[in-house]
Amino acid sequence: MEAFQYWIQGFSVATLPINLLYAFIGCILGTLIGVLPGLGPAAGTAILIPITFNLDPIGAIIMLAAIYYGAMYGGTITSVLVNVPGEAASVITCLDGYQMAKQGRAGPALGIAAIGSFIGGTFATFALMVVSLPLASFALRFGPPEVFALLVVGLSLVTGLSGRSVLAALLMTLFGLMLAMVGMDPVRGAPRFTLGLPPLYDGVGFIPVVMGLFGVGEILLSMEAPVLNVIKTKLTDLLPKRKEWKVASGAIGRGTFIGFFLGLIPGIGAIIPTFLAYVVEKKVSKHPEKFGTGIIEGVASPETANNSYANGAMVPLLSLGIPGSPTLAVLMGAFIIHGLTPGPFLFKERPDVVWGLIASMYLGNVMLLILNLPLVGFWAKLLELRHQYLYPGILLFCIIGAYSLNQSVFDVGLMVLFGVLGYIFRKVDWPLAPTILALILGPMMERALRTSLEMSAGDITILVTRPISAILLIIAAVVLLSPAVRLLAQKAGKD
Amino acid sequence: MKRTWQVACILFLAGAVVMLISSFEYPYKDRLGPGPGFFPFWLSLIVVGLSIALLFQITRGQKAPYGSESPYPNRQGAGRILIVLVALVGSLAMLDYLGFRISLLLFLLFLPIALGIRQWWVVSLFALAGSFGIFHVFYHWLKVPLPMGFFGL
Repeated sequence: MEAFQYWIQGFSVATLPINLLYAFIGCILGTLIGVLPGLGPAAGTAILIPITFNLDPIGAIIMLAAIYYGAMYGGTITSVLVNVPGEAASVITCLDGYQMAKQGRAGPALGIAAIGSFIGGTFATFALMVVSLPLASFALRFGPPEVFALLVVGLSLVTGLSGRSVLAALLMTLFGLMLAMVGMDPVRGAPRFTLGLPPLYDGVGFIPVVMGLFGVGEILLSMEAPVLNVIKTKLTDLLPKRKEWKVASGAIGRGTFIGFFLGLIPGIGAIIPTFLAYVVEKKVSKHPEKFGTGIIEGVASPETANNSYANGAMVPLLSLGIPGSPTLAVLMGAFIIHGLTPGPFLFKERPDVVWGLIASMYLGNVMLLILNLPLVGFWAKLLELRHQYLYPGILLFCIIGAYSLNQSVFDVGLMVLFGVLGYIFRKVDWPLAPTILALILGPMMERALRTSLEMSAGDITILVTRPISAILLIIAAVVLLSPAVRLLAQKAGKD
Repeated sequence: MKRTWQVACILFLAGAVVMLISSFEYPYKDRLGPGPGFFPFWLSLIVVGLSIALLFQITRGQKAPYGSESPYPNRQGAGRILIVLVALVGSLAMLDYLGFRISLLLFLLFLPIALGIRQWWVVSLFALAGSFGIFHVFYHWLKVPLPMGFFGL
């Protein structure tokens, strides 16, 4: 009954004309970010934070969340028409989507992606409503040791699931934690590692780092081969053929479940659910050999999983305060900028924000479906923009975004520096997501650990003697050590 | 790629050693519990250990964790990257002195031309819209503070 009242409250907030407008603008901007190559959802959301400075917190969060899930829709368009994913989660869509476009069937590919995304997103939002409140109520029992252990699990999952080498991914996580050490000590308030530079007293800015690593870094990488070959195709027929609906509906159903449940695991990222949905579809198919040749279920399943994941991943963010991906970390940063802290207390203190946001996600999914089907042709036209205008334009917004948070040219410099680092890390294939998550979670982690040790008078076993904390730390250890164990087992097998 | 990974490990190792030494400047413990030096000390110590472990794995290990592709861009790509970096650093240097509008006007004039566009009037329009136009939208409509420079522009 309590949940039902919250739902009503959420819809009353989300359906305010001004909030509907913010959701609509967010959907448009998000799709644009997803469409534009060289601008991923993390950097895109970060760039657009300044436009929310003067909005009330609910409106700002509704708009930024719409940008986030809108970008998931937009990424498909480039995958189908250019064979370049607009964002990483759309990589797998290239396989069949691009082949369909080459056969002159880009319309149905984009159409089924929009419909699948709508169904997946809507179901996941409904499940988010059901799951998040009990989870947040449970998390309210957590003390500092449990919070520390939970953050360790979140970072371990991001680390264990990214990149070619767990050791390299771990170093990237710790790099983020090292960056988080710069600035005021989160417990005592003493400045640390500031090199005597006043702008560093507030710490290494999260927004310039995200824009550098994901925005400038991506553009530098794109400059190596900036020309896109857009497939010229008529986009008149957007709906699949009648017999394709049957296979597509099964794929959409399976993609929805896979996306949502993987979204609940912090740190899994959007790529794994899409790949898994594709693999499952191939396994259950009567003609697996046709995957990769341009079949509708090869587009429907990953695209559905992608949006279902995007909405499902809001569960750990809202209920536990753990962002599962760099884009959600940016969203968490935006919450903090607007004076809100995602996590169990937000449900108690600002139910209007939480439930207003969740309700707006329903409406946003409807808006995206309405926007995307008729506007596919328009978005496709944007891909014909020349890179000599596109990339300077994106950089312009990066500069505004980096500067405006603290009105600091130092932050713009920081963005450029991290842009170069982002380019280098991409080239050597070291994952960037762990750094971002560690940077935002670092102060919380340090605070939780130090408070735990204060509680136990310096006895570290407090982390393993409390059951929830112990279980969480075991999960983290399993995630991090499993590649090493697998390697040792392989070696033993060979010997 | 092997050399690049080794260099990255050494840089991480160096950074962690610097942080480890710097962490001694802050109290490890105070009367309430762990001090400001506690977390950085252990963190940098772990990074030192992991950097050495990865370096060892790359140098001695049988199975390479890196790909076979070259990490270096081709000549043209490197040229374009350099152009973007020059433009970014240039605008960064000018931003506080010339203000947003002039700095970004120059930035948006320079980049498309340096990247090969020769339609001067289109570039000029693009640069004007991107600098003065965007300034108007962000500064006046969205109330986002942007640098004005010495000339109030």
